[in-house]
Amino acid sequence: MDNFKRLSSDTKAGLFIAFSINNALLIAGWWLSSQVLHLSSVAVLGVVAGIALLSIFVLTNVMAPWLLAPVKALWQSILHLSPYEHGFTAPDVSKLGLGRELVTSLTNQVYQLATLAEKGGVAEAKVPNNLHSNFIANNLPLPLFVLDDTETIQFANQAAADYIGIHSEDLTSKNVYMVLDMAFPSEHTFDKWLKDVKLHNATAGSSWERVRLNVRDNHPTRLFDLAAYYNRANPNKWETMLVLFDHTSQYSQDDQAVSFIALSVHELRTPLTLLRGYIEAFEEELGDKLTPQMSDFMQKMSATAQQLTAFVNNILNVARVDGDQLQLQLHEEDWPTIIKSAVEAIALRAKVRGINLEYTVAPNLPTVGADRLSIHEVINNLVDNAIKYSGSSKTIKIDCHLTQEGLVETTVQDFGVGIPSSVMPNLFSKFYRDHRNRAQIGGTGLGLYLSKAIIAAHGGNIWVRSKEGEGSTFGFTLVPYTKLAEELKNSDNNEIVRNAHGWIKNHSLYRR
Amino acid sequence: MDPNAQPAAPTTKKILIIEDERFIGELYERALTNAGYQITVITDGPEGLKAAQTNQYDIILLDLMIPNLTGIEILRILRDKEQTPELKSKVIIATNLEQREDVRADIERQADGYIVKADLTPKELVEVLSHIK
Repeated sequence: MDNFKRLSSDTKAGLFIAFSINNALLIAGWWLSSQVLHLSSVAVLGVVAGIALLSIFVLTNVMAPWLLAPVKALWQSILHLSPYEHGFTAPDVSKLGLGRELVTSLTNQVYQLATLAEKGGVAEAKVPNNLHSNFIANNLPLPLFVLDDTETIQFANQAAADYIGIHSEDLTSKNVYMVLDMAFPSEHTFDKWLKDVKLHNATAGSSWERVRLNVRDNHPTRLFDLAAYYNRANPNKWETMLVLFDHTSQYSQDDQAVSFIALSVHELRTPLTLLRGYIEAFEEELGDKLTPQMSDFMQKMSATAQQLTAFVNNILNVARVDGDQLQLQLHEEDWPTIIKSAVEAIALRAKVRGINLEYTVAPNLPTVGADRLSIHEVINNLVDNAIKYSGSSKTIKIDCHLTQEGLVETTVQDFGVGIPSSVMPNLFSKFYRDHRNRAQIGGTGLGLYLSKAIIAAHGGNIWVRSKEGEGSTFGFTLVPYTKLAEELKNSDNNEIVRNAHGWIKNHSLYRR
Repeated sequence: MDPNAQPAAPTTKKILIIEDERFIGELYERALTNAGYQITVITDGPEGLKAAQTNQYDIILLDLMIPNLTGIEILRILRDKEQTPELKSKVIIATNLEQREDVRADIERQADGYIVKADLTPKELVEVLSHIK
């Protein structure tokens, strides 16, 4: 750009000098003819007009080549490289008066591009234009897919065909998403990446770990790492290449870890079931025979058993999130009903700590797409946190309303110790807790991590606002059911919506 | 026990509980009897299956980890037209076991309900079962 500015200012200077010379000549001609030679006014006019014509003619002929020299140099360099033109030599930019820097840089670029094009041409000529006859592509022991700009499979090697159990001829000219039904462990999915690079990049590469391939017809699920390379406008239409690295056995071993946790959870749950059952039976049998203090003890016992049950469920679900096994079934749910039952379920835990749960629900909230059990856990975790960090304050406010974007938002507000701004960024990480409070308040730091994963899988957002000493507000949004159902219908994955009345089985927003 | 705490009109529904953990059986029997149900508790798999096939129960609460025949096997036999004629009972899986999502979905498809025992107290179970038509 600096080079262009320089060319521009040089041009201005050149034109300024030319016009100045022209005007000076005119004034000199007038002065000479009228003041020195005392010619008649008609003669003066003739002299001035003559000088004007002559100087314009001379200056135009001097200026034009000077101004056009940069264009000429560029033109010459392009013709020099053209295979259709002969007898042109490379321009000598060193003699250029105007725009030498700019033209030097531009001609260099032209020569560089030409070299690249030439190399490409050679490479193209050497590689056969047909992957199907390419020995390496066909015998690569890794599944390989080549897609064109419409994401249609141009080529799939034998390994790819074997991997997904479809004939390689049947794979070509199919849309890749029809063949590869992939689920990713995070929002960074292949299709999002591809859409993005198509907009912004000429070439790009990326990789994904722990991708799950949903295979039809009861084939076992495959787990693999995926690598993709994108090359816009590839002359062979090989725009995107996908290579799959199968790690099913390795990742399944990780799943065994989940089984171990599942087993432990079972062993914990049975005594918990009994504990809660007998506490309840005890309360019922004794009823009014209990003194207020005994009754208070019973409630505390009951609340504690509830808390332990919730924690056991948390452990299980964190293991599922980490093992990419958390799957939610989003149903159409009336949010006020859910929030009411969730608040009722946790009210005892608040009550035994002398805390009052206040909740308000805006009228006419739309139904939401929610997995009842998981969303209960989110509310549970947020309210549990609010109880833990309430300090001496005795109120927790829960509020449900519609946001401006039309999402159903639920906030849980406490008026306790608050969160120092330094720890806010890590709040939703696993095992993270407020360091200052670690000694005083128990907890594993799993709750928020899990809540975030659950809300994300619902297509919502979770956030926190807090001020030290004034308390914290946690909030999350849920998508209205109509919106979600519409989105899922529009995606070409017709397996997600199974039932017209809102059974969304095996729903995963992270598909592809 | 306050008799007013239970619904005024006692249900005459019969429930079969197939559950090997005797304490859980005891708790469920107590709560459901109080709610007016007629309860039978069986702790063995094959015996439970035989009782279920008599088709005289309105609801069957079926645990998954039971001796000699698993709950999943019992469910499969109950849903197999060759081995069991049309069952009028509603089969509710009651378990503390966690399975892989696909296994669970498969069980849920065959059953009329699925509950995690630890998530419900006996009283809450009564409430859940009262919704079964």
